[in-house]
Amino acid sequence: MSRPSGTNLALGVWTTLVFVFLFAPIIVIAVYSFNGGRLLTAWDGFSLHPFTAIVERPTVRHTVAVSLQTAVVAAILASALGTLAGMAMARFPGRWTGPFTLLLLLVSVTPEIVDGIALLPWFVTLGQDWSLVPFNNGYVRLIIGHSLFATAVVTYIVRARLVGLDASLEEASADLYARPIPTFFKVTLPLVGPAVLAGGLLAFTLSLDNTVISSFINVSGTTSWPVYVLSSVRSGLKPEIAAVSTILLVFTLLVLGLVARVLKRSGSSVTDTMAVA
Amino acid sequence: MRDRAARRLPGFVLAVPAWLWLTVFFVVPFLQVAWFSFGEKPGMFGTHSNAVMSLDRYAEAFSPTFFTIFRATLWMSVLGTVACLLVALPAAYFMALKVPAHRRGLLVALVMVPYWTSFLIRTIGWKVILSSEGALAGFMTDVGLVGDPHDLLNTRGAVLLGLIYNYLPLMILPLYVAFDRVDNALGEASKDLGAGRVRTFFQVTLPLARPGIIAGVVLVFIPMMGDYVTPAVLGGAKGTMVGSLIASQFLTAQNWALGSAMAVVLILLTMVVVVLAIALLWGVGWLVHRRTELVVGTVPPPDPRLPTKEVVTA
Repeated sequence: MSRPSGTNLALGVWTTLVFVFLFAPIIVIAVYSFNGGRLLTAWDGFSLHPFTAIVERPTVRHTVAVSLQTAVVAAILASALGTLAGMAMARFPGRWTGPFTLLLLLVSVTPEIVDGIALLPWFVTLGQDWSLVPFNNGYVRLIIGHSLFATAVVTYIVRARLVGLDASLEEASADLYARPIPTFFKVTLPLVGPAVLAGGLLAFTLSLDNTVISSFINVSGTTSWPVYVLSSVRSGLKPEIAAVSTILLVFTLLVLGLVARVLKRSGSSVTDTMAVA
Repeated sequence: MRDRAARRLPGFVLAVPAWLWLTVFFVVPFLQVAWFSFGEKPGMFGTHSNAVMSLDRYAEAFSPTFFTIFRATLWMSVLGTVACLLVALPAAYFMALKVPAHRRGLLVALVMVPYWTSFLIRTIGWKVILSSEGALAGFMTDVGLVGDPHDLLNTRGAVLLGLIYNYLPLMILPLYVAFDRVDNALGEASKDLGAGRVRTFFQVTLPLARPGIIAGVVLVFIPMMGDYVTPAVLGGAKGTMVGSLIASQFLTAQNWALGSAMAVVLILLTMVVVVLAIALLWGVGWLVHRRTELVVGTVPPPDPRLPTKEVVTA
């Protein structure tokens, strides 16, 4: 099969180039996070100053804190909603599953900009026209905006996990006269645990990176990290942006490694799950 | 009866929170946008008014000023999708069929790493690479490929590069899965029946990978059409796309009615192109399939699958 032919060599070289292409900007950002210059794009010698600048600048610290807080709450919310929905889809399919799947599909394929421009007027309607004050709060807005796609992702992952598992354990529980709700909490929930954790962590990273929706529903005072970075694209990118990104990148990779391990141990295919997401 | 009802109840109830949540914060907001799109901007300080209902905002969205940007976005997305497909095909083919099985997982994970790191930061990485102070601009100016080091960034080309880069993993993954599922035995059978490697690839492997190609094209094209970050970072004034146009209507011009109409047009345009692309890909596949059938028909054995299995087990 592996005849060393010219075609295979060419394919190998091409694939290597594709990987170089995929990683080039990430490596550049990691290198430029040690840029001693005043502006990110102009290299001016090696320095650790960008990393110390993170500590010195309250704006950077504050926006990163907003992002992390939002991500935790959005991930918990999306996990709760998605887990329940995923279990319902896998275990109680009915006439409702078709329209619900369509809704999830629409949520997944709609470009973020449409979500963003739709949520902005909606929050204004809710918060100002209908005086539902919580919707004027920046955190609430961010959490809601980040929870939409994440809920769909968690639903897919939990559903995929449960479809792959035999329902006989739950049936056994029912045969032993456990009522549906105790069965749910004592049998089904432990079974989907790994999928929920994986989905929740993915929801967390998605929220951490969300730029488009966040920039539309942004309320001053609760600007998230990506929105701050996007605004500095216009006002001038500083090297500390690369420094924070490098830290967040390492953090995200650790989270992803954790997801991969959890999924591997639970037996579902990492590739399939992430491809779905 | 009561027992069955009790068993049925949780199923419906479990999905209700997610359903309600997505309805209130996804469906209803979108319906509101659709409603706004038939209204107008009432004077300097208002953002929207539906006192007079009309299709005027759609006419405005189709006016030459804005429609050039719609057309440019469509072209960039089509070009970007085709380029993604051409770049990803050989790589996905190599990963799925030429790399030893135990290494494939690692390669797939490597493809996903950029996809799961911040979209915005990766795009800014390209801004650094393409910037006039960067090594690339200096090199290309010295060699004479560009006249001025400022020619790389803030162009349509830079945006196109960013689009291809940002969505490439979304093309590689479905193609990889598709090639991975193609039965190697069918390829072997094709070669045993005298087809060359090139012909086997185009007449057997590629048609079998068609669902993956369609999935990749759809997954890449839709977000490209609505991209807002890539043109904002790499495009400057020259690389504007519909995303930036809609954003400016909401954030700067405060004309929610026109912005809403543009968003609706964007969605409809995207849907039309996706349907056309799927039809086209199926049609091409069907033509190739018919040709393959004719070719196979001239070869004596009627069913190519039976001899395949013998070859494999032998």
